[in-house]
Amino acid sequence: MTGVLARLCSRAVALGLGGLMLVACSAGGGGNNNTASSTDVTVWSAWGGQELKAFQDVLKPFEQKEGIKVHLTTVRDANQLAINVDAGTSLPDIANGPTVDKVKDWVSKGVMKPVETALGDQFQNYMTNTYQALTTPPGGGKADLSIGVGSGKHYELMVKTQVKGLFWYNKKIFTGTAPTSFDQLLAINPSQYKAQKLFCVGLESGDASGWPASDMIDNIIMRQNDATFYTNWIEGKVKFTDPQIKLGYQTYLKEVSDQNAFGGRNTVLSTNFGKAGDPLFKTPTGCLFLEQATFIPSFFTQNFPSLNLKAGTDFDFFGHPSMGNSQYDGNVNGFYDNFAMYNDTPAARKLMQYMATTDAQQIWANDGGTLAAIKSITYNDPVYKRAAEVANSAKNLLVTAGDFMPADMQHAFWKSLLNVTKDPGSLDNELKRLDQVQAAAYKKS
Amino acid sequence: MDQIIGLDQIITALVAIVGVPLVLFGYIILGEQVIERLPDSMQEWIRPYFWALPAIGFATIFMVYPLVRTVILSFRNNGDTTWVGLDNYQYFFTFPDTLTSLRNSLLWLVFYTFFAVFLGLVIAILLDRVRYESLAKVAIFLPVPISAVAASIIWRFMFDYQPPGTIQTGTLNALLGTFHTGPVAWLVNSTTNNPALIFVGIWSITGFCMVIISASLKAISTEVLEAARIDGANEFQIVRLVVTPLLWPTITVVGTTMIINALKIFDIPYVMTSGAYDTDVIATQMFRQLATSHYARAAAVGVVLFIAIVPLLVVNIRRFQQQEEQR
Amino acid sequence: MSVRSTTREATGAQVRVSTLSNIGYRLQRLPLHIVIAVFVAIWIIPTLGLIINSFRSLQDMNAAGWWTVLFPPHGFTLASYEQVLQTENVATSIVNSILITLPATVIQLAIATMGAYAFAWMKFPGKDIFFIVIVGLMVVPIQMTLIPVLQFFQLIHLNGTIMAVWLAHSGYGLPFEVFLLRNYLGGLPREIFESAEVDGAGHAVRFLRIAVPMTIPAIASLTIFVFLGVWNDLLVALTYLGTSTARPFTVVISQLVTSLGGGWQFLTAAAVLQMALPLAVFIFLQRYFVRGITSGSVKG
Repeated sequence: MTGVLARLCSRAVALGLGGLMLVACSAGGGGNNNTASSTDVTVWSAWGGQELKAFQDVLKPFEQKEGIKVHLTTVRDANQLAINVDAGTSLPDIANGPTVDKVKDWVSKGVMKPVETALGDQFQNYMTNTYQALTTPPGGGKADLSIGVGSGKHYELMVKTQVKGLFWYNKKIFTGTAPTSFDQLLAINPSQYKAQKLFCVGLESGDASGWPASDMIDNIIMRQNDATFYTNWIEGKVKFTDPQIKLGYQTYLKEVSDQNAFGGRNTVLSTNFGKAGDPLFKTPTGCLFLEQATFIPSFFTQNFPSLNLKAGTDFDFFGHPSMGNSQYDGNVNGFYDNFAMYNDTPAARKLMQYMATTDAQQIWANDGGTLAAIKSITYNDPVYKRAAEVANSAKNLLVTAGDFMPADMQHAFWKSLLNVTKDPGSLDNELKRLDQVQAAAYKKS
Repeated sequence: MDQIIGLDQIITALVAIVGVPLVLFGYIILGEQVIERLPDSMQEWIRPYFWALPAIGFATIFMVYPLVRTVILSFRNNGDTTWVGLDNYQYFFTFPDTLTSLRNSLLWLVFYTFFAVFLGLVIAILLDRVRYESLAKVAIFLPVPISAVAASIIWRFMFDYQPPGTIQTGTLNALLGTFHTGPVAWLVNSTTNNPALIFVGIWSITGFCMVIISASLKAISTEVLEAARIDGANEFQIVRLVVTPLLWPTITVVGTTMIINALKIFDIPYVMTSGAYDTDVIATQMFRQLATSHYARAAAVGVVLFIAIVPLLVVNIRRFQQQEEQR
Repeated sequence: MSVRSTTREATGAQVRVSTLSNIGYRLQRLPLHIVIAVFVAIWIIPTLGLIINSFRSLQDMNAAGWWTVLFPPHGFTLASYEQVLQTENVATSIVNSILITLPATVIQLAIATMGAYAFAWMKFPGKDIFFIVIVGLMVVPIQMTLIPVLQFFQLIHLNGTIMAVWLAHSGYGLPFEVFLLRNYLGGLPREIFESAEVDGAGHAVRFLRIAVPMTIPAIASLTIFVFLGVWNDLLVALTYLGTSTARPFTVVISQLVTSLGGGWQFLTAAAVLQMALPLAVFIFLQRYFVRGITSGSVKG
């Protein structure tokens, strides 16, 4: 018995140990590519669907020309990168920049590498070609964390831009002239154009529900106040109970009221943002206008393949009307996609340089659904041509407030918008709560 | 683009599946060879530890040690550099968000547990009386093996809401439509959303309770029931006064399992509403704190959860000790 | 009253009941059948609705509910499935689910069986305390352990790998499995082991050639239980693999729900695919499945 066992045993142990070694090797090898690679680059992006496909199109020529393999992973949750940074585990070579509250910290820790280093001598070109507002701190300062500029260096490469706060409409239904003021907008009678209500709104978006509402209220607040007030609010220096912020909420509530919004509050809260615009193209027409960013046309075409919707002929937009203070009309809400380099490798540098070129960004623009960050890109799409003009003529391209608040604050902010939409009477309570969250969220812990 | 299946991953998996039992196999055999050469008295106490070492080791690394660490972490700051005393707990008990999650977890605790067990009992008893019992049991049990993620998606469709006046695509609202009542925004409306989520939980787990209770039900001798009937008791009285008391031990076992489930619930609120509109529970709250790098706060939330479970821990251990005495 | 209880099992000796009272009997039982029918409907229809929806196009789903397929035009299509399987990460994640589930199951059961044997058949100081701790651990919520285990994985450089999840699942599942298997092993007849011992068989042999084969029924049931538990798991994978390319199907689905491009057509097909394996296991291995559940709670 023992003899047989002994033999079996030794074989088993050998197999087992050999197996374990294989495991250890493959786990180690396949897991972390820490070698400064010139042949592979890892990229994380939050894009899916159409946006992802566009990015893949952009990467194809790069891979072919340079022979560098791009390992692209879709990472939706922006916090995941932060977890890895905190834990000191391996980071992707290139990924989106972090929320603004982390920029300073990561820059000082050397987590993000300067764009100047990545682009090398291409950097000057990048600076001249890109929209001013995306690369230059206002007033010529040395730092603006919201665009990734710290201690005189740039840490975020701007690749795509969106303009927000645009009012989209079905050209065949709304044949009137674009209103120039918000009051004019509210005064439009939808039944005049055979539509049921003024606005379509959709706030649902899983864990991020409420972000479209943030866009809406941001566009209101930035036109009711000057840019400094708006930026201060983002940085936690203005309380939520401030009368101007309260005014912003009250104005926002007019856009989602039972009276003005298609389907009333319940629909506003239950509808996914991507489907919010559907009533524009249905019969009977549900609403006249959808307030959304430049990326929304791809959702129109995707949801109504049989209608063959064409930009400019079937749908168009007008910019956000004035809130009554003409001196703030130059404040435009923009959103930009940026990349930061986290591992300084030859391959990563090449990719960063490529993404800053007109060629790359032209592909992005051609695939539709976005503006590039470079000013000189041409757009076939009439809608985007006009959107580019809006971006170019903006005095201040201001960011979306929620996206630049600390994660806690952003979440509470979005939730507050959902809550007041559901129950406008709770406004004062919500604002008080937000103050409480603000006090804790901006504390340096 | 990356291929779908990494060859090295498959090899790793295969090696694990085959290799681990083999390694353990070898561990035992080799170990025994060594142990048998030791003096008897030493064998007595080395051997059990040798055998139980992997199990105890894993349990320690993955449960005991983390438990202690989490409790400690809850009294420190997020960067784990200084002590902050009760700050994290204070946060938990003063912020409306976290308080809401506490309230919701209590709702789950009470209603999920009660209805899962109650319905399991009722259905077990009812099905016991019909010939197509096995078939019906399959139907009720079907949601149990389904993941909470899939169940959440199933019910998101059921709860779908379209504006009033348009065609309802959600089953429940369509049903309401045939009775000429307006559609309800089940997941948004604060009176209906928590009950809706809890109902999905109950729906998923009732089959589990039913199967266990049914097994015990079948073990009740028919003579006892016959005797009661001969004594003139009607069916309801029999259920109430004879069956239920006899099933009580099983009901408590199932009940405690359900309570633990209720407190730990995560998937359903996370997938269906992400905790929005006040449907947050303790587990989703903790995950959010974790995901935003507030590790110490997350630890505090975890400790609160643990404290809620401690009574059950005691109950379980006591029951175990009682059973041991009977062995 | 008496009609109901006695005609349930009509024996030969029973008086043949007249047709009229037979109908009366059935009518009395009608409420029972109706109630059961309602329950069965509530439990089956939602799942059925989803499965049907997964075979419809997005436009159909937006236009009307799933019950309309019962009437022409029926509009069945496999488009959703095609789209889902082509979606970024989905196919990979399904494979990942398999690569996670199988090893995790094997590892924990192997370790648990060994440990259960020790607790069942060996005496050692502290055995009772260890076992009580294990019983207690069955109740501890996983959330309590997430952060330190995350840091532990970072320490040993396993962060974001599938191996991490294998180990994590094993650690979390062991208490229950050791508990269950110990009870079962403890119930095996002592004589068999004693006679083997007399024959000169050491513990290793006794374990591998006697205990394990006799425990196969319990292990089989437990395997299914564990397998499905890992296949369906969301929280553990989300925490340790949230962004890794190694994340399983459940995580990808929950992320699809939040995604910017996610449409309902993706979710229906994805959910059905995810459910397919557990349902198949359940349908074909019902007996073991149910036994696994009942043995744990009733006997234990």
